[in-house]
Amino acid sequence: MIDDLISVDIEERGEVVVVALAGELDISVAAPTGRRIADAVPSSARGVVVDMSGLDFMDSSGVSMLFSLARQVGSHRQELHIVAPPGRPVSRVLEIVEFGRAAPVHTDLDTAVAEVARPRGSQPPPG
Amino acid sequence: MSQLPGLFDVRVQARSLAYLFATGATLGLLTLVFPHADEVRDSALIILAATAYVIAAIIWIRADRVREWQIRVVLLAGTVIISLANYYAGPPTLYPLLYMWTALYAFYFFPLREALAQLAFLAVAYAVVLAVQSPDSVIVRWLLAVGTPAVAGLLISRLLGRLDEHARDVQESEERMRLVLDAAPDAFITLDRDGYITNWNSAAERLFGWTEREALGKTMRDLIVPDEFGDRHEERRLALVASEGPFSTTRFDVEFTHRSGSRFPGEATVSKVETGGEVFVSGFIRDVTERLRRQAEREALLREQAARAEAERMAGLVGGMQALVDAALAHRGLDAILRDLVTRVRGVLDAGTATIYLADEAGGLTTGASAPGDHPEGDEFAARVAASREATLGRGDTLVGVPLLAEGEVTAVLVAGAEPSRVFTGEDLTLLRLAAERVGLAIAHARVYEREHRIAETLQRSLLPERLPDLPGLEVAARYLPAASEAEVGGDWYDVIPIAGGAVGLVMGDVAGKGLAGASMVGRLRSALRAYALEGHDAGRVVERLNRLLWTEAEDTQMATMLYVIVDPAASTVRWVNAGHPPPLVVADGEVSFLQGEASVPLGVLPFPTYDETTAPLEPGSSLLLYTDGLVERPGEHLDDGLAQLAARVAEAPQDPQGLLDHLLGTLVPSEGAADDVALLTLHNMPVPDRFAIDFPAEPDALATVRSMLRRWLAHAGADELEVAEIITACGEAATNAIEHAGTGNGARFEVSGSREGRAIEIAIRDSGAWRPEREDDHGRGLELMRTLMDDVAIDPAAEGTTVSLRRTLGQHERAR
Repeated sequence: MIDDLISVDIEERGEVVVVALAGELDISVAAPTGRRIADAVPSSARGVVVDMSGLDFMDSSGVSMLFSLARQVGSHRQELHIVAPPGRPVSRVLEIVEFGRAAPVHTDLDTAVAEVARPRGSQPPPG
Repeated sequence: MSQLPGLFDVRVQARSLAYLFATGATLGLLTLVFPHADEVRDSALIILAATAYVIAAIIWIRADRVREWQIRVVLLAGTVIISLANYYAGPPTLYPLLYMWTALYAFYFFPLREALAQLAFLAVAYAVVLAVQSPDSVIVRWLLAVGTPAVAGLLISRLLGRLDEHARDVQESEERMRLVLDAAPDAFITLDRDGYITNWNSAAERLFGWTEREALGKTMRDLIVPDEFGDRHEERRLALVASEGPFSTTRFDVEFTHRSGSRFPGEATVSKVETGGEVFVSGFIRDVTERLRRQAEREALLREQAARAEAERMAGLVGGMQALVDAALAHRGLDAILRDLVTRVRGVLDAGTATIYLADEAGGLTTGASAPGDHPEGDEFAARVAASREATLGRGDTLVGVPLLAEGEVTAVLVAGAEPSRVFTGEDLTLLRLAAERVGLAIAHARVYEREHRIAETLQRSLLPERLPDLPGLEVAARYLPAASEAEVGGDWYDVIPIAGGAVGLVMGDVAGKGLAGASMVGRLRSALRAYALEGHDAGRVVERLNRLLWTEAEDTQMATMLYVIVDPAASTVRWVNAGHPPPLVVADGEVSFLQGEASVPLGVLPFPTYDETTAPLEPGSSLLLYTDGLVERPGEHLDDGLAQLAARVAEAPQDPQGLLDHLLGTLVPSEGAADDVALLTLHNMPVPDRFAIDFPAEPDALATVRSMLRRWLAHAGADELEVAEIITACGEAATNAIEHAGTGNGARFEVSGSREGRAIEIAIRDSGAWRPEREDDHGRGLELMRTLMDDVAIDPAAEGTTVSLRRTLGQHERAR
């Protein structure tokens, strides 16, 4: 999906779906962006990583979208991981709303992907 | 019997003799069948009869080739046979035999009276001999055997002598006739009933190359009638022979063959002649080669005179026609062709009105152009002309119409109406028809071209931004002026792309391909550029990617020049990449200058060129101008002159963007239209005030604009990057609430105002709705963000609307952590 504000780039790395967001995420694009991500995750996938490194702006509607995405993914026994480099407006917002309670937030993409792709056996108990 | 009547030729004589021999032999045999005297020697008579039959058969078969001396021999043989027959048969039997044979002979050769007289004389002579002599005497028998034929022959030869005299007279007259005929300049030929040549004069010898001897007894087909005309000749001859009436003359022109095989035209005058029951065909033949040649010469002369007159007439016609054809070729635009054409038709035909009707796809006709106006019955008449597909005169020759065809289809109809009291002539019709043949295709081409041009232009316009984005603090204006219809639609395009982070991308490009192909390439480049720009690539990478697109996907060697400029109002800078495009122009403090920086090759020229970014300041109050070469390139003028002129025009132009562009188009584009497309895009970086109040529509789409405006204002107020991000996040939450309160689609608006006192910033967002602490699905996170990110958040839920005031003092980063 390419809008004037945001671009959504989806890539499947084995059992992990990587969604790279760039541009600005506000209420005008939040809902369709969330749907686009949810649709991109096949039931066979182990989880999804939303890479927000390219995102210049995100407001509370973007946060709401991420929360609801976390719920949806969780209901399919899949994982949601977020990548947000520190010192950027987006990571500040995620900190403020304590999004870490809903899903793990990583500082770089590779760590996040490795985390999702790690063997199930070493998965910590939920919660 | 040496002299035979000249009337009979050898062939006739031979056949006559054959009859006589056969008849004599038959009579001799008949005497044996009937009762007869004992002394008759049957075997001798049978042998004689057989001999006579054989001679008759030979001479009959050889009749065509028999010679005269051979006839004499045969006659001699006949006399011998009869003498022997007399001897062996004896007088009583012989008498009737000889009598009958002689009778036949006489009746065959002589008129009735003479034949009767001769037979009577013979009868008396035999009677006397038989009465006086005893038939048993050997002397008498020999006398009778030899004497009777001798007497008969003598008598006959006397009679024949008289006949011969007559024949000589005839022959002399014939000879005279022949001399006359030989002296005749024309060939004279006679044919008998069967078509065999019986006369062939010396003129005939000269004319056909065959001698009389060779010709006689042959047919005309054998000698002088060409093979392919043989049947016709025969038909004609038979018809003539069968024709009624004793005398008829027919003349006809036919071709003849000379002995050498050469052909010549002849004139034959033939008649059917009947003399004494014989039917002849006689004819005079003359070589008319010379006559035909003179006749041809005369005709050629007449033709030449006529041709000269025709040529003069045609010169007038062609002159008029050329004027019409020129009209079609002098212009490329359809309207111009049609206007010029009808004006010239009116002039050339000296007509009152001239109109061209164009056929549409449904087959209807619409007026394309008229001079000075339509004839009242013109369209009706034009429809008739279109249906008939023929140049037509109508309404008492006061209307002339001609269809214009292209590939067999009527594409237009040209109609002229006469001045009062004047009518059109066939000449006018011809002129119009000839002109139409030549003009039709030109008009058809112009129409196809025009249609494609229109499609391309529509496509192109659809690719240009319909409305430039509302950019706070930045004023943009653009113009796109397609080339006058004579030229192809160009591939000029411009675009204004808001980029995340408050910057704005300005694009000005020119695809070298014209027409539909160029326009569709523009479409691809435009959407690709928007996508790349949004993905956050820097300007150089964006342009490199576009180059890849053009290099790998465009047909042939499609090329494009392009400027991609990123204006960052917050930093008061421009960064740009120039791919072979004329340089952008900056107006700062009234000074006009071109932005000279890294210039690189146009797109589509190299597979992997490097496009480097150049940065320059763009202070508030300055303007930037982007344009395509159509504005500065004029035929025969150096590009530098065009650029210098542009700079001069910009310097004298008003400051505001719309005024600037209008001034440039007014002074730099010729009044008859631009030769090439012209695209212009200008951006004015407005001065940043300390306080502001801006109204926005209560729509989610306005949020990006609010953020962009605030970024610029905050940057100008001295906020660092993180402060800007945090403040606009907080303000964004407040603005989102304002939009939610208003509800969408009801034309409601909200206001953003700002002020600063030193480093203290206050931003207020005021809407016209009722305050709700929480948005749906928000769980109070909006308010939480505002409170965390700002020093102070005040909410004033008044009856007429809610105002959220956000305050923060810059330079206190540790505050929230």
